[in-house]
Amino acid sequence: MATDSAGTRTEAGLEGIRDGIAQGRFPAHVFNDREIFDTEQRRVFSKAWCFLAHESEIPNRGDYVTRYIADNNLIVARAESGEIHASLNMCRHRGNMMCKSEMGNASHFRCSYHGWVYKNSGELVGVPYMKEGYGGRIDKRDWGLVKVRTDTYAGLVFGTLDPDAPTLEEYLGGFQFYLDLYLKQGSSGSEVHGPPDHWVTETDWKIAAENFSGDGYHTPVAHQFGFNLGYFASSGSTHSQGWAASIPGKGHGIGLGHTPGFPPFAGFPEELAEEMRSSLSPEQVEVFSQTRTAVGTVFPNLSFLMQPFSIVPGEAGVRFVTMRLYHPIGPGRTEMYSWCLVPKDASDEYKQEAYRAYTLAFAQAGTFEQDDLENWARVTRSAGSTMARNIEFPYVMGMDSTPDPDFPGPGHVVTPYVNDSNFRNLWSRWSEYMTGRV
Amino acid sequence: MAATKPDRDTVLDATEFLYREARALDERRFRDWLDYLSDDVRYEVPLRVTREGQAEWEVSPTSRIFDDDKQTLTLRVERLETDFAWAEQPPSRTRHYVANVVVDPGERDDELRVSSNCLIYRSRGDSIEPNLYSAARTDTIRRVDGRLLLARRYAVLDQSVINGHNLSILL
Repeated sequence: MATDSAGTRTEAGLEGIRDGIAQGRFPAHVFNDREIFDTEQRRVFSKAWCFLAHESEIPNRGDYVTRYIADNNLIVARAESGEIHASLNMCRHRGNMMCKSEMGNASHFRCSYHGWVYKNSGELVGVPYMKEGYGGRIDKRDWGLVKVRTDTYAGLVFGTLDPDAPTLEEYLGGFQFYLDLYLKQGSSGSEVHGPPDHWVTETDWKIAAENFSGDGYHTPVAHQFGFNLGYFASSGSTHSQGWAASIPGKGHGIGLGHTPGFPPFAGFPEELAEEMRSSLSPEQVEVFSQTRTAVGTVFPNLSFLMQPFSIVPGEAGVRFVTMRLYHPIGPGRTEMYSWCLVPKDASDEYKQEAYRAYTLAFAQAGTFEQDDLENWARVTRSAGSTMARNIEFPYVMGMDSTPDPDFPGPGHVVTPYVNDSNFRNLWSRWSEYMTGRV
Repeated sequence: MAATKPDRDTVLDATEFLYREARALDERRFRDWLDYLSDDVRYEVPLRVTREGQAEWEVSPTSRIFDDDKQTLTLRVERLETDFAWAEQPPSRTRHYVANVVVDPGERDDELRVSSNCLIYRSRGDSIEPNLYSAARTDTIRRVDGRLLLARRYAVLDQSVINGHNLSILL
């Protein structure tokens, strides 16, 4: 039953992990393991569609941000044509980094080493001593910045290093239905409030990805202070009602927390709730109007959380959305990126209020975030021990639950929200990548 | 703006105020710490972003790590008083080193603008690797009924990527 001490050194080890998931078992060591980390870089992050940026971070021509896929630093820029391009942040001449800041605006990038110049679309346009030095041996068309394939959905820019990856639409596989709650707040959609928080954590990216794919089970305990001080409209026992929805075979999952008696679209400004009633599909309205908390993960490492929050006990407060990217920087080490998304159409006052709720609850100093990270750091530490190499965790909660036939949304949807169903789907997809099946 | 340069006693009072306020935090006397704050206090820690030298801003005008008032700071303290503030169970050991204190006249006659450097050493559990937070603080200190109170804190961290798995301490 346990993985052998050679662990993942062999393909057989990875196959064993895959078989275990089907039976509701997952080994502890994957959450802090050098071999797993290295394999993930090659087999997961080099093949999946990875989140790069929100379009509202680069609204104008020339705007760029620098982001990562695996350990590759990329420039994500809006070119003069208005199109978004992602290019490896590495000069083709000797490999120097082109952009050294996190964000900015530039029509061209000039290498600070020998002066090669590229358009923000990645095209090579300037080579010093072109005639005298190279004598026609360089064709600029062959030496542009290395391009990364990109595609967008409702403001989200994704990139993939795999030229053979399916389309983004196919990759998301219907999860768009749920993402719209975060991305289409009002008919004009959502925008980032500002640059992301980022900080380095002693946490494996997978723990965070799993938690955000719908862990309603931890809320009454990990965030007990919120109930204790009366900052939730529901009690701990009702907080875990609702649905766990996942897209079979894709790895994406979302927990939709539901509180009996919670008013429809509670925490949204009235005019925004009205807009959503008309701009979203009737099925989406039915699901979202009764959703209190929505916490979801797009495989592998992009997550969202929407929740109403009030500093006044008993009040619905305001809805805030946090979007986060878990960028793996080592086994058991993750750089967190966290944005606050606000409805583009909302008043400045509401945007400010939502942003304040976000900082108080879920930015890096957020009262909820703090406790999650403390727990995740301890899980990560335990997972790195020698005894943990032979320990597995149970993922059998809700194994016998049958999908709700009346639920109007897509995917495999079970109730209650407290269920390991989304996690089994997440780790099943992960193991497909890890064993080279994707 | 009151143009007069603060006298030596005022400078000493303001400096001692910062030391005592920091000591309340390091000794985890959070209720005492709240008493150092005015009722209309604004406590802000903006986000720092790595930008080119010519960029318009480096400290984000819109994004903040903390954006608190007396009510939300009290909530943070109430939280620490429950048994469920897991991020601080067991608590961090912190040491605020306050230096380079410069006292200037404030915008109002009863206020001072006090800038300082603050290095915070944070140790947790058996870890031998502390978190170090270096911040430039710009405070507004107000004299009310013969006492000094903190009316505004604006603390800018020197790192753009924060080294620390959470920020469950106060700056």
